[in-house]
Amino acid sequence: MKKIVACYKWVVDEADIRVEGKERSLSFDRVKYKISEYDRNAIEAGALLNEEKGCQFLAVTCGANVETSLKDVLSRGPESIAYVNDGALGEADSLVTSKVLAGIIKKVGEIDLVICGEGSSDGYSQQVGPRLAALLGYASVTFVNKLELTEDGIRAERKLEDGVEVVEVTGPAVVTVLPDINKPRIPSLKQILAAKKKTAEKLGLDAIGLDSVVLKEKTLSISGTVMERKNIQINSGGMPVEEAAQKLIQQLKADGSLA
Amino acid sequence: MSGERFDCIIVGAGPSGSIAGYLLAQAGLEVLIIERGSFAGSKNMTGGRLYSHSLEKIIPGFSKEAPVERKVVKETVTMLTGDSALSLDFQSELLGEEKKDSYTVLRADFDQWLAAKAEEAGAILASGVRVDDLIIRDGRVTGVIAGEDEMEADVVILADGVNSLLAQKAGLKAELKSDQVAVGVKEVIELPANVIEDRFNLNPGEGAARLFVGDCTKGKIGGGFLYTNKNSISLGLVFTLSDLGTEGLSVPQMFEEFKQHPAVKPLIKGGKLVEYSGHLVPEGGLNMLPKLYGDGVLVVGDGAGLVINAGYTVRGMDLAIASGEAAAQAVIAAKEKGDYTAPSLAHYKRLLDNSFVMRDLTKYQDFPPFMENHRIFNQYPQLAVDIFKDLYVIDGSPLKPLKKTALSHMKKVGIVNLLKDAWKGGKIL
Repeated sequence: MKKIVACYKWVVDEADIRVEGKERSLSFDRVKYKISEYDRNAIEAGALLNEEKGCQFLAVTCGANVETSLKDVLSRGPESIAYVNDGALGEADSLVTSKVLAGIIKKVGEIDLVICGEGSSDGYSQQVGPRLAALLGYASVTFVNKLELTEDGIRAERKLEDGVEVVEVTGPAVVTVLPDINKPRIPSLKQILAAKKKTAEKLGLDAIGLDSVVLKEKTLSISGTVMERKNIQINSGGMPVEEAAQKLIQQLKADGSLA
Repeated sequence: MSGERFDCIIVGAGPSGSIAGYLLAQAGLEVLIIERGSFAGSKNMTGGRLYSHSLEKIIPGFSKEAPVERKVVKETVTMLTGDSALSLDFQSELLGEEKKDSYTVLRADFDQWLAAKAEEAGAILASGVRVDDLIIRDGRVTGVIAGEDEMEADVVILADGVNSLLAQKAGLKAELKSDQVAVGVKEVIELPANVIEDRFNLNPGEGAARLFVGDCTKGKIGGGFLYTNKNSISLGLVFTLSDLGTEGLSVPQMFEEFKQHPAVKPLIKGGKLVEYSGHLVPEGGLNMLPKLYGDGVLVVGDGAGLVINAGYTVRGMDLAIASGEAAAQAVIAAKEKGDYTAPSLAHYKRLLDNSFVMRDLTKYQDFPPFMENHRIFNQYPQLAVDIFKDLYVIDGSPLKPLKKTALSHMKKVGIVNLLKDAWKGGKIL
């Protein structure tokens, strides 16, 4: 029986972040957390494979405050979860995150397939999946919008800029999925109730072979961006439509919006 | 999972549902609370004030741990005309005494706290699930249907709010009529705590409650309200559904004009709109009371229309909490007997009858029809303002005796009407 892991990140719901004042500083006062959007697709992909083929399917996460996410994720399909909850991971970058996730996955052992979202809703660095593959020594398959299990690996469709690439992997793999691979479920009553009976294994950093977390990167500040509008009025002064249209075309060309 | 079964399923994690769940779980029953919103309180709305007495009885000292905003120490009723306002202001230590106190609340925080209390007590809370229908066998409610899932229980408590479609499906009530409900709209406007305290003359932690009548609903049935929270003001309008559209103004338009009124504008000046919401408010009082129970089913809170609008106060949450408590007691008694039929659950109605809920609802039962008298909302505010205008507006023209000017203003309304309304109002209140 194949063993599948879906990784997810417990992120701030961006709808709750407020940009304040002239400095455009971000206020996290009343934020709620959620499972990162594309990671929901990763979890759904694992749940569907499990329901079709009968695999072992579990979720994995790490962070500074992930315990509130357990019920939510377990209602979305995984049979269990293994996680590291450590205050030191609050500012974890992709390097640290992938080291911790790899540690958990190795600890669980004998994983055939790791599914991640293409990128997280907050940082969207798109690094954790490929880094995990490198750390685990697994094949890395990105931009996946179709995924199936084969006898000894997987077959995946990668949606690229100018076409679709179909790849087959023999042996274990880490795939990162795109949002159009599936439509994540809204957990049903019975799925929510079942989640309360599933097991959650909490691991310490030491249990996965990491004594401490060293952050090489430090975030100095975060601020919002605002798109400045030019506020150009083309037909001010009531010029004829033809003339205004010509003027608009010239303006768009000057801005590089029209070739 | 198919074998799973609960003693009681509660639909809705508002104050009535969570209190019922809290007490049932404490009594050792297997309870499931199903909430449609992604978390308890996410879909709920209040003008803003909880009278503490009924919750204090169940969770003594709750206000120290619950996310309440401010303790109300100041009550103001204001009559509005287009350009003027006449206020009656009551400030008293008596408002803040234990078990008589009231608190401004924001439901997104408060309901979450109360639902968490129920969970701590052992109730299971499932959020983000809509109950579509009831399982009814031989006229008896035996469970709920949510999407593909069916879940059975000995008894179902309907705490699904003012427009309880499930209570209709259970045959407990008919569809709402437009004169039984009002539409409430509310904005939460953020202001620093010290600005609120300066503006409303409050000490830290203290709050003000204000009601407005008259021009804010263009003389139609309804009123405006304002409650001070910690760092924000809840400002809103309630407008009876049957009167809607008769003035050619939509509720949002009326609300905008209310905010621009010279007596309101300075109160919210410099504030930042952080939330906008709208909801139905039951207003029919005792006259819209549904059948409160049936075989295997009870209805509580707004779903049972348990709201008292006495003009100068509006109460819903304290009644909801008491109804949740009564329902829980009735279900506990039913479990002991092993009998969940209507005659057994009638205990719920008896408990309510003997509590302040029915006593107060009965006292105010003639109030909703009285309030439907439009004079209260258009002519009386104008009359009051006119009398005070004569007293205070000095322009050098010869002063007339107060008795004479007041009488001339009263004649506009009609002395007979005035006496009639005063007599009726006096009798009801």
